[in-house]
Amino acid sequence: MQLFSQDIMVHQLTTHSFQQLDPLTVRRLERLGIRPGSQLTVIRQYPFHGPVILQVDQQQIALRYPVFQALIGGA
Amino acid sequence: MATIALLGNPNTGKTTLFNELTDKYAYVGNWTGVTVEKKMGQLTDSETMVVDLPGIYSLNPLTKDEAVATDYLLTGHPDLILNVTNAGQLKRNLLLTIELLESGIPVVLALNMLDDLQQSPFLFDLPTLAEWLHCQVKGTNARSKQGIAALHANLLQSLDHSAVSPALTLPYPEPVAHAIDATTQALQATHPELPRDFTRWLIIQYMAQNQTIRDYAQRQQLTALTHQTAAFDQQNFEDHIFQTRLTFIEQTLQAARRPNPAMQPNQLTQRIDRWVTHPLLGIPIFIGIFWLMFKLSFDWIGTPASNLLNAWLSGPVTATANHLLSSWGTLPFLQSLLVNGILDGVGGVLTFVPQIFVLFACISALEDSGYMARAALVTDRLMQMIGLNGKSFIPLIIGFGCNVTGVMATRTIEQPKERLVTILISPFMSCSARLPIYSLFVAAFFSRHQAVIVLSLYFLGIVVALVMAKIYQLAFRLKRSSTFMIELPKYHVPRLDIILQGTWDKGKGFVKKAGTVIFAGTVLIWLLSNLSWHGPVTDIDQSLAATLGKLLLPLFIPLGVRSWEVVSALLTGVMAKEIITASMIVLFHLTGRTALVATFSGLFTPLSAYCLLVFILLYIPCFSTLATIKAETGSTKWMVYSAGSSFVIAYGLAVLIYQVGSLFL
Repeated sequence: MQLFSQDIMVHQLTTHSFQQLDPLTVRRLERLGIRPGSQLTVIRQYPFHGPVILQVDQQQIALRYPVFQALIGGA
Repeated sequence: MATIALLGNPNTGKTTLFNELTDKYAYVGNWTGVTVEKKMGQLTDSETMVVDLPGIYSLNPLTKDEAVATDYLLTGHPDLILNVTNAGQLKRNLLLTIELLESGIPVVLALNMLDDLQQSPFLFDLPTLAEWLHCQVKGTNARSKQGIAALHANLLQSLDHSAVSPALTLPYPEPVAHAIDATTQALQATHPELPRDFTRWLIIQYMAQNQTIRDYAQRQQLTALTHQTAAFDQQNFEDHIFQTRLTFIEQTLQAARRPNPAMQPNQLTQRIDRWVTHPLLGIPIFIGIFWLMFKLSFDWIGTPASNLLNAWLSGPVTATANHLLSSWGTLPFLQSLLVNGILDGVGGVLTFVPQIFVLFACISALEDSGYMARAALVTDRLMQMIGLNGKSFIPLIIGFGCNVTGVMATRTIEQPKERLVTILISPFMSCSARLPIYSLFVAAFFSRHQAVIVLSLYFLGIVVALVMAKIYQLAFRLKRSSTFMIELPKYHVPRLDIILQGTWDKGKGFVKKAGTVIFAGTVLIWLLSNLSWHGPVTDIDQSLAATLGKLLLPLFIPLGVRSWEVVSALLTGVMAKEIITASMIVLFHLTGRTALVATFSGLFTPLSAYCLLVFILLYIPCFSTLATIKAETGSTKWMVYSAGSSFVIAYGLAVLIYQVGSLFL
């Protein structure tokens, strides 16, 4: 279990397939510039699987942990 | 008269640009059958109208708010589109630009927020962008007024249709391109009145599963389109269209990108967010910001200014009015109506303008700074527990200004059930109309802790809203995993003129109400307090207001109210909450706020005063809010439910606090 907040300015990730996500969420992500293969920088993760702040193409986006997990191919 | 539609993604400085380009503007309601505000302004030094539409990411709407823009393109027939983009996030912004360029309506592209672009390692060559996109491209920074004059001149020039390029045509894959051509031919055969570019755009939007366009096609019986829905969807045309647009954007940006030799990195946002979005400190900072807002409004600036205004209105102004009316030989009945009714009543409410405007100035500063999105982020965990998400918190904060705008701001929420829940809990947010009555009571009973007591009422409103949301979550079976996704814009130092503009936009309704609803309410309550079933009365205890107030008084005794005047004033508060104060001034036959505060000390204890404030905070929303709930939910049932449930909650909680408090105090 993740207990502490993490400031991981150098933590870079590439998004995977969006198959685990519902079409509405995929459409929202696309509008914010996040697509399969997008490069993400994790700026901050809240404790206990709280929201995650990401940077994509010079902009910061906050989303919930389950969507973040799905983006990076986690369960 | 020519019309320019202002369209762009959220957080692109669209409204700032609108304010810079126009010199007169007005909010207009009721738009294609739904009640939503659009902002219309007149382009400076011209007859051209500019329509400011809600910020959207795409013409394919996910929310009711976004559907307004697509509806406008279908029915508004603008002569020109001004597409405002954030120059620092052009890749994402151009997705909407392409949709607009395909419409065949002339487009001027504004690359706004050039200061953000200066912080990145590259710049864009505007002529190259213009060449690829087949439209005029101008660089602006609305916050510093950079490029505004050139954009203004360009807009006027572009309205001359001879200078306009044809619609943008992208190289869609063969199956898509073939289907577009074939359907265009079929549609033009059955509907020759539709312009060719518009027809093509309609087809592409239809293929991209734009539900607003699909509904439009159904309504217009465009069978050449509607009969092919399954074929388009089976071939996954939406995905092909999106990928083609994306490839085109990447090619365009690659061609236009230039190194930025003078890159000026700005760490302001990162430095502030290190604290403001901190998992542990985020909520205390959020509460601290609100505490500061209330200290400014009630202790440091608002109340002292309000006291000065009150002394002037109830002193020299009232005395002069009495003197003039007496010297003109005005009838005593009419003089009483003008001075004791209208001047004291309406004037009594107007003395609260300083507190309300200071509060609105604080909210405007927060909006302009970029903090609101962070407020949504830090409250998301809390909102998740009740089946909502942080985005629902923004309409609730807006509700602090006015519940009507708070209810309307729920349009940005995608899920219908979450939207309904947010609408139902919005009236519990303490709007500015309740401030005058809070100010009176805290001045009378809690003079040393005014800000804290008022803040406690605001937080009580939030707590009741959250508890009710939890109940609705269970009743409506809302999923706990509501999707939350929000863009965090860069911070900006709030600009004074933007704060002033925002303060006036929010506060002018209060001033306007003083001249309309409060005026009417004051006259009504004055008449009720001076008339009986048999005609005019000199003893107010024989008046209609007294009859009604005394009839309902037993209902209010359990919450500590012992005066029929207060009960009658509460009844008028359903028209508009501001009227409660004016009604009390009229019913107690007083000359302004100071006398009313003195009267309260004989009628209430601190406990009963606080219970009355709790009741006023939560009881039946005003008529305007109820009408908005009906319009936004499309249901009289929810409007009636909102009125009934609010009364029950307000009454129950106020009685509970009074009865339990009486055991200890």
